[in-house]
Amino acid sequence: MSERTELTKREATGPTLPHLVQAVAPAVDIFENEDEILLHADMPGVLKDDISVDIDNGRLSLSGTRRLETTGAANWEEFGEVEYQRTFSVPQTIDVNKVNAKLKDGVLKLHLPKSEASKARQIDIQ
Amino acid sequence: MLTRWSDRDRMFGTTDLLRSRLNRLFTDFDRSCGYGPGWKTAESMPKTNLYDNGDTFEIRAEVPGMAKEDIHVKIQGNSLEISGTRKSNAPEGYSGQRKERVALTFSRSFTLSSEVDAEKVEASLENGILVLTLPKSEAAKPKQITIH
Repeated sequence: MSERTELTKREATGPTLPHLVQAVAPAVDIFENEDEILLHADMPGVLKDDISVDIDNGRLSLSGTRRLETTGAANWEEFGEVEYQRTFSVPQTIDVNKVNAKLKDGVLKLHLPKSEASKARQIDIQ
Repeated sequence: MLTRWSDRDRMFGTTDLLRSRLNRLFTDFDRSCGYGPGWKTAESMPKTNLYDNGDTFEIRAEVPGMAKEDIHVKIQGNSLEISGTRKSNAPEGYSGQRKERVALTFSRSFTLSSEVDAEKVEASLENGILVLTLPKSEAAKPKQITIH
């Protein structure tokens, strides 16, 4: 009979799957001009505090988690809790200290200024 | 036969795992479509969720990069239409290196399972998510019946 208790016990703890958050790559636009690189990423529903932007050794990684608090019965659900994640290579010429980010209407706007030393320069011939 | 209990136990465990995976299959599939490059069909429209709270419906839609002036919501009886445009927001003087966020015009219609009170509908836009709260019309609300 002791074996039987083991059986019921196992079933109670069961293989419950952890609450998985899906990781997706956000859609991005990248623009460039002489002074900076501009990156726009769609992150609807992500709060400012849940976004992290890291630049390390030429790798820029964006990550943002969206939490959804839902009430009631879902008739359909096409989007859920999600982790937006994407990594880019950035040129070493980016001035890491001057990078700034803004979040508006669910779009992350990242300004990556180029360092003075790397800017194209016209050389005058004397 | 009793010595075999642990084997059966393990077998049940595996079946349970399989069953719960299968239960998740369709939600996972629904969610994964439209995300990421390669699956373009769902991208011309914003993704939406519909929740039924008994007295109200709640619709949420992903509308990143759209201001409230860009979105229009129309309600008639139990049909709802959300339309909007996202302008291309390429800033002046920049050259595009990569363009994944397309400018789009969309219109999406829904038929709700009951009529809503169009006067009391509330809409808000926060962080690129449109939230519509649609109170059901009096006739469609669930009623508590007291027993005499």
